[in-house]
Amino acid sequence: MVVLAPAGMRAVGLAAMAVILEWARVLALRSPDRQALTLIAGGLALCLLGVGRRPAELGLAATRLPERLIGGLALAGILLLPAAVRWGGGPVLAPEFAVVAVAVSIGEEVAFRGAVFAALEQSYGPAAAVLGSTAAWTLAHALSHPPEFLPAVAAAGLLLGAWRWAVRDLVGPIVGHVLADLAL
Amino acid sequence: MTRTARRRAALLALAVVAYAIAAWAVAPGFYDGIAPPAPYRWVSPPPQFRAANQPPLSGHATIRVNNGRVDPGSVFTQDGQAAISFTPGAFVAPADGSQVTIQIAPQTTFPDPRDIQLATNVYCFTSTAPLGSGKDALITLQYSSGLPAPGDVYMYEGNGPWRKIGNTGSAAPFYIAARTTALGCFAGGYPRNASQAAGARLGGQTLPIIVALAILVVVLAGIPLAVLRRRGDAGDEDEG
Repeated sequence: MVVLAPAGMRAVGLAAMAVILEWARVLALRSPDRQALTLIAGGLALCLLGVGRRPAELGLAATRLPERLIGGLALAGILLLPAAVRWGGGPVLAPEFAVVAVAVSIGEEVAFRGAVFAALEQSYGPAAAVLGSTAAWTLAHALSHPPEFLPAVAAAGLLLGAWRWAVRDLVGPIVGHVLADLAL
Repeated sequence: MTRTARRRAALLALAVVAYAIAAWAVAPGFYDGIAPPAPYRWVSPPPQFRAANQPPLSGHATIRVNNGRVDPGSVFTQDGQAAISFTPGAFVAPADGSQVTIQIAPQTTFPDPRDIQLATNVYCFTSTAPLGSGKDALITLQYSSGLPAPGDVYMYEGNGPWRKIGNTGSAAPFYIAARTTALGCFAGGYPRNASQAAGARLGGQTLPIIVALAILVVVLAGIPLAVLRRRGDAGDEDEG
């Protein structure tokens, strides 16, 4: 007989799994070998957390796609604005890392604003979904980012989570996140 | 617009404002760090980095001349710690139409920077043709994530002295950039008597900590509050 954990416990477990996957990816990257492969595998593993849920539950319904895409552009604009106004040139992401950036961004959105958000919302309501997915997302970046960057990471998570809740949409956060990662 | 829609729009706007404040506090702002930054390679590593330090690398490239104009381009050191970027015609084209060679090399000896605290290696940029009159190039230098960030790029020509050429900002974290009208030797740094480095201009270290604490409080306090409210709502429904 299979005994399933209560939905709330499953939601917390899902959030923990997403954080652990992100930390595992960061730790694996400390080896200089096959970094691109590690990153792509990390992105795909995060996407797997969304398996078993209907697209609509994850915010990926196909309705109003143009509006969702425009929303994603708006989110990208907001995410990049602080860097854009201080732009003075500088290195950009190497082309070979572009595919990697797309895989990781999509994986993070499907995991945190998709699966974790949906599970927390079903169990504890929308506020817990926004705040809980933001907390997990920030924790997931604790190993890869210096502490002074974490407030901006948390605030970006809060913004993307708020969009997910207010618009019931994950396409916008995916588009915004991918563009921001490609730009920086 | 319904009351719910207004509430959602207001909270979304609040999230935008919170993000703008938090992202402005640290340059460049949102940074997802696809791969963690490689450790900085020091010419003379500070004690805490001495054990694992790797020597910095140099770089060079040859730039073609087309129709009497030197092509645009970027030249990097092999470790990416120093770079120069320039637009078409920035360098004077050699009269014989030959290519322009640009070299970047980390320096072990350099003039005393006196009241400047250098926060990066010193890199000398040389080329077989000078920058044209009224033309400039962008110098970009990486700095260590383990030390205070430099506030400006400084340079010297010949035997010195050092002078500040400013900071145009950089969209990439742990990089500083500045425009120069002449090649020479460059480093990132800040005045020795300054209590803080570049971070001070962007809000110092205090602002990011305050913003971090505020977000942490909202997130950590919000979760139990949301759960309690949910339970309260469910209780009300049961009673009704």
